[in-house]
Amino acid sequence: MEPFGKFEDSRANDELREAIGFLRSRCPGFQPKVGIILGSGLGDLAESIQSVASISYSEIPGFPVAHVSGHAGRLIMGRLAGTEVVALQGRCHFYEGWQGAQAALPVRTLLGLGIELLILSNASGGVNPRFHSGQIVLIDSHIDGMFRPGLSSRTIGSATNVVGRHRISYDRQWIQRAQSTALKLGFSLPTGTYWATLGPNYETRAEYRMFRNLGADMVGMSTVPEANIAFAHQVDVLAFSIVTNVANSDIASVTDHADVLNWSARAKSQLLPLVQELLSEYLQSDL
Amino acid sequence: MLDLYDKIQEACATIRKSWDRKPHAGIILGTGLGPLVEKINVQAAIDYSEIPHFLKSTATSHRGRLVCGELSGVPVIAMEGRFHMYEGYSLQQITLPVRIMRAMGASLLMVSNACGGMNPNHRAGDIMMIEDHINLMGDNPLIGINDDRLGPRFPDMSEPYDHFLIEEGLRVARKHDIRAHQGVFVAVAGPNLETRAEYRFLRLIGADVVGMSTVPEVIVATHCGLRTVGFSVITDMCLPDALEAADVQRIIAIANDAAPRLSTMVTGVLEADVARNG
Repeated sequence: MEPFGKFEDSRANDELREAIGFLRSRCPGFQPKVGIILGSGLGDLAESIQSVASISYSEIPGFPVAHVSGHAGRLIMGRLAGTEVVALQGRCHFYEGWQGAQAALPVRTLLGLGIELLILSNASGGVNPRFHSGQIVLIDSHIDGMFRPGLSSRTIGSATNVVGRHRISYDRQWIQRAQSTALKLGFSLPTGTYWATLGPNYETRAEYRMFRNLGADMVGMSTVPEANIAFAHQVDVLAFSIVTNVANSDIASVTDHADVLNWSARAKSQLLPLVQELLSEYLQSDL
Repeated sequence: MLDLYDKIQEACATIRKSWDRKPHAGIILGTGLGPLVEKINVQAAIDYSEIPHFLKSTATSHRGRLVCGELSGVPVIAMEGRFHMYEGYSLQQITLPVRIMRAMGASLLMVSNACGGMNPNHRAGDIMMIEDHINLMGDNPLIGINDDRLGPRFPDMSEPYDHFLIEEGLRVARKHDIRAHQGVFVAVAGPNLETRAEYRFLRLIGADVVGMSTVPEVIVATHCGLRTVGFSVITDMCLPDALEAADVQRIIAIANDAAPRLSTMVTGVLEADVARNG
């Protein structure tokens, strides 16, 4: 059995093989244990990785090339807190128009490299009034409100050798580990349900009320497609959400992208040490 | 979205050949609400087919003309006939006229629609000022690479409908003895009407009325910086436990009957907006 399973869509399959083959040839013998998508609050983790290779998406066969201003996509392989990791800098959001096999390829590549754990992060709007701006919440469940074919559905082909249903759940053991590590570092880490929307506009007050009534604690525009691919591969997922503003449905308050970036930046002082501590405690290589 | 900017310029250039003025407002007329056009002192009426990048309007009782002129002495552009997602068009195509209105110089968007009422305090023929909306269309007109010339990547939606104009609409209604409300509009893709279970669900999530339009246009209006006011004409009551089969002819008759009342409110709100914002 090949580590990345069998695909029904032969083109997506070929692209994946090519990308994985290319990365293995660039870093022979390097076996990452953890995949990290450097979302909000985790971006600076890139600087802490002792890089074995840092490769632009444009060099990797089939990878989507970021077409917006800001940094282009990069894949970084190296060691973080003594653990072999592979990290993605640059994400394929549905609201940018990415979909299907192309959007799925970077995450599938991480999974195909044989990672045991996928770490994700995002910035979200707080729907649960108990949360506050700058708070980090662990996603323990999600609601897919994106209205788009999932990245591991039949639109691309089965991502696993397991046909049909698979478990959709954020790994309980990793949630407990993250919570106790956070306490050691001096902060608490609540869990919550993340509602994924298509975006790109922020939500109306009526929509926030709906999310709350239907059981969501946070709302954002990412993470769910990536987590779902990992679930299909039966790879554990640990997902952090940085609450950047808590919506008050009864008072119109403007959500500004600059505020979102600002709160994400402030939360990283907790999130970066937390991730490194988790890796060093539970995944440090014996080598 | 990077091809939109040029399309907008081309459409504006064509419109300006027939009507070279700066509109204060753009107006979108919903199902059965076309009679409002009779109140406009028409200076130019352009078939959609003559305007580059405009779509064909295929829905029942939508005519397909862009009417330019004056309403109550105020320059306006009105769409007689709108486009819907259920016609198979993308939301980006549907909302292009809103961007064109903005590029022509409008600062206000006035949208109207015919909708199903789910709030038991409402009655068929009532008009609801849209206070907020829920997008359940499963799509968004802003998907794609953002063109910063048109608006921000992540528009705020905390108050898409101007609260001053909501108050004005209700004030005009009271003055003219028109039954009017304010509430939440939920947009679905359609084209089928909802099941009783869906009406229950939509009511449960906080909506007062349901329709198949308006939200895409309002999202784009917010993106491109237009003040927005929305009028929903309740053309049938959709109470899940006493649901009657929808009758399109009856719905259109109720919309036509409500059109004069809608005209009164639209005109009043337009005048109030001019008085406030010039």
